[in-house]
Amino acid sequence: MSEADGIRKYDPEFTKRVYQMDNGRWVKKCMQCGICPTTCTLKGMMDHSPRRIIQLIRAGAKDEVLNSNTMWLCTSCYTCACRCPRGVPMMDIMHDLCHLAEEEGIKNNKALMSKVFYNDVANRGRVWEGGLTLKYGLKLGIGNALKLAREMQDVGMEMFKHKRIPIIPAKGIKNPSKLRAIVDKATALAKEEG
Amino acid sequence: MKYSYYPGCASEGTGAANYYAFLAVAKALGIELEEIEDWNCCGATVASSVIGEFPAQVVAARNLALAAKKPNDIITACSSCYAILGLANRKFAEEKFKEKANIALKEDGLAYNGNLNVRFILDVLANDIGTEKIAAAVKKPLTGLKVAGYVGCQSVKALYKEYDDPEYPSAMDKVIAALGGQPVDFENRSKCCTGSMALSAPDITITAVHPIIEGAAKAGADIIVTPCPLCQMNLDVYQGKANKQFGTNYQLPVLFITQLMALAYGLSNDLGLKYCVVSPKQKLASWL
Ligand code: SF4
Ligand code: SF4
Repeated sequence: MSEADGIRKYDPEFTKRVYQMDNGRWVKKCMQCGICPTTCTLKGMMDHSPRRIIQLIRAGAKDEVLNSNTMWLCTSCYTCACRCPRGVPMMDIMHDLCHLAEEEGIKNNKALMSKVFYNDVANRGRVWEGGLTLKYGLKLGIGNALKLAREMQDVGMEMFKHKRIPIIPAKGIKNPSKLRAIVDKATALAKEEG
Repeated sequence: MKYSYYPGCASEGTGAANYYAFLAVAKALGIELEEIEDWNCCGATVASSVIGEFPAQVVAARNLALAAKKPNDIITACSSCYAILGLANRKFAEEKFKEKANIALKEDGLAYNGNLNVRFILDVLANDIGTEKIAAAVKKPLTGLKVAGYVGCQSVKALYKEYDDPEYPSAMDKVIAALGGQPVDFENRSKCCTGSMALSAPDITITAVHPIIEGAAKAGADIIVTPCPLCQMNLDVYQGKANKQFGTNYQLPVLFITQLMALAYGLSNDLGLKYCVVSPKQKLASWL
């Protein structure tokens, strides 16, 4: 995309912005050794390997980073972090990038899923796994949801048969509004810092 | 031994079997579990992508603050909860973080100074209880049962070297052996199952679980056990799909390690085998 007219757009402001995120300082510590991509769970499906994402952040390749699927495919398995000679917590950087992409309004299934999941946390204090599937389906849009439902029909039936889908939500926490107040306060404090 | 118990959301749904089996096994071993009153979701690995890392850590820390009303270690039997709570707990060693987190926690009248330990079930079993005690409670030794102990990723890797080696984990195999079972060494035993991606990208999960199941099958395992609700679900529920996609016909039951313990302890009421999609009845016939 950024190379459409043969000119790459580099944005040093983007690099600075990532450096300022919770785990941004780690981006500076990477020595580009390439160990993380060799261990990464889903490297084969990522647009850019974890190592390359770091390189692109440093280069200020904003569009390439934010539009990539890499951070959404990070499973948070911590495998790369265990082996990184510099102790870079790659998944934490990936979470920051997901957050940044969310803020920029970039959409994908995992982002939708995260939101549905988090809404439950904010509204009930706990996640009701049965409702999660339903609400996620609604967010996907009816066409996509039906397609997914068709593909996953057998799995759904098995889960249902074996009582793996909780039909009735267990009770949430006593006062979810207090939890939301904590999050609001924490968000404000995090902004103050940045 | 007394612990503050953090069950996590899966205990109320897809991982209910783990919840009941753990309570029963704990009782048999004399482990006292006090559920943390009014615990909230730890936020898993996705909350931070929605609200940012600091707020997400504070959400997790609310549970630590609730637990701090008692002096006991916190125990959890979910890999993801362990990773999130454990990492949040470590942050409290930083004065600046502690101070800021407490300003936020105050909104719910809570405070935490970082004095507790967050422990994983395998850590407690292998290191606090010990294999001798685990073995002593066995009523029906699992002699001849070949068990693939799938530890997954987060339980050993997120808190890197906290209780086990992340590359060559051994805590679960020790437990399996103490039950009289035969732990098998197999390929991909700590490879990620892709966790919660099962819902947003099931194709990816199906491709990821197949080599894990295959590794266990090739090593001659009768069953797979795991400590983690997401691992259990992905390996069990998606096994049929993986078979279809890769032209295999594996029928490897996937149990929680707590269920295996309940089996060896003769706690037939708390086994929860009905939750298993791949039926374990045949493989476990001699013990049921
Ligand atoms: S393993 Fe660490 S230092 Fe090496 S490329 Fe990856 S993040 Fe950078
Ligand atoms: S934590 Fe993410 S980037 Fe690192 S190995 Fe796992 S999936 Fe790959």
